[in-house]
Amino acid sequence: MKLTGKEARKLLFDPIVENNPIALQILGICSALAVTVKMDVTLVMCAALTTVVAFSNFFVSIIRHYIPDNIRIIVQMTIISSLVIIVDEVLKAYVYEISKQLSVFVGLIITNCIVMGRAEAYAMKNPPIRSFLDGLGNGFGYSFILIVVAFIRELFGAGEFFGIPVMPSWYPVNNFLLLPPSSFIIIGLMIWAIRTYSKSQVEENENPLKAHTFKPLTVKKEATDG
Amino acid sequence: MRNLVIPLLVCIACAVVVSITAVVVRAEQIANVENEKKNKIISAAGIEIVEGSVENEFKKITTLYVDFRSNEFVSVEEKYDHLKAVLKPDLSGIVPKEKDIAILKRREHVGPIYAWISESKEVERVVLPIRGYGLWGTLYGYLSLDSDLNSVNGIEFYDHKETPGLGGEVENEDWKAIWKGKLIYNQDGGVELRVVKGIAKDEYQIDGLSGATLTSNGVSNMINYWLGDEAYGPALNKLKEHVKNS
Repeated sequence: MKLTGKEARKLLFDPIVENNPIALQILGICSALAVTVKMDVTLVMCAALTTVVAFSNFFVSIIRHYIPDNIRIIVQMTIISSLVIIVDEVLKAYVYEISKQLSVFVGLIITNCIVMGRAEAYAMKNPPIRSFLDGLGNGFGYSFILIVVAFIRELFGAGEFFGIPVMPSWYPVNNFLLLPPSSFIIIGLMIWAIRTYSKSQVEENENPLKAHTFKPLTVKKEATDG
Repeated sequence: MRNLVIPLLVCIACAVVVSITAVVVRAEQIANVENEKKNKIISAAGIEIVEGSVENEFKKITTLYVDFRSNEFVSVEEKYDHLKAVLKPDLSGIVPKEKDIAILKRREHVGPIYAWISESKEVERVVLPIRGYGLWGTLYGYLSLDSDLNSVNGIEFYDHKETPGLGGEVENEDWKAIWKGKLIYNQDGGVELRVVKGIAKDEYQIDGLSGATLTSNGVSNMINYWLGDEAYGPALNKLKEHVKNS
């Protein structure tokens, strides 16, 4: 099975809109809420996650035939957490200020559902190069959503872009956009937009509303003769 | 067999790679922390930091060392670090339980005072390192006093493990701003300043952090300890005279 250019493109770019890990699979929401207040912090977080998911996919895929099936999650976790520690150490050394703002969220990449999901669902069944590209693609998909959310939150929340004020001076700070719940709404709107554009993502309604069919119990009134 | 060997190999490989990375980037990390400390000293003193101003401002600082056992000003070797001294048995001692209100367990014998001294040999402001136990771990910070060596200039914490949003609010700019102008010592010379529950009523009180009573108490205790008789208290009383005569 040789990897063609078309396949490589599909692996890399499909997860951005067509099969986005956040918008379609609704994974990895937690960090999307927490680290999207400022663009620079968000970019570092996206780079960290993309690195971890790409390399964890790669290494898991290399040893996929040797991993004993019953303890595969533990072996995957060992690889993922080592990568996260390495990324964390490097961030602390070279972008100290931002790593302080990211605080626990770099460490929490270990439990990020996208990383574990790709290792388990893709890397365990596919060769290393494909897995690496798949990891990169999913990292890009995650980054795409985060960057859009961070752009909106920083611009309309603090009125800044990369920390530089861009809004006119009369623009008040919008505190709601600076608080985590606003990302929920922005992500929700993005999912709506993506599904309007690509109808195939619209899920079938599993529990449609139906007319009321419940027959109420008839309670016999006891005659209470006084 | 395979169930044991593969995980073992993975663990060894991961451990080696992680250790190598940690060793390689250690120097940069230490440099970052040192820089951070310098920044915090300057900003505790209420001086605004602009690009490149930290090193310049640091040149204005005279670092004096106090021996807490004799309360005399002493000189130390060049690379002396008071926090590293805590780990060395000959440079530190165990704090007796009944006096250990900040829960330090061990304390260095000699601690620094970072002082800004004018040309006429007046103390303009000082910064003292403080530390003490909060809820989850030790908080490390700096407290700055004004030229009267009684009113607070500012406070900064550079390392702590308190809960973000609750005790972690010791880093909140608005809360730190409350400290400016508060008084440490009462008329009798005892440490009076403390963090109270609710809203401060006089100049000896700081508004408590809501949801963080234990952190607030920890901060009160460390102020009480480090500015009290056991630590910097007596030396601060002599500081002005010492500077005049030096």
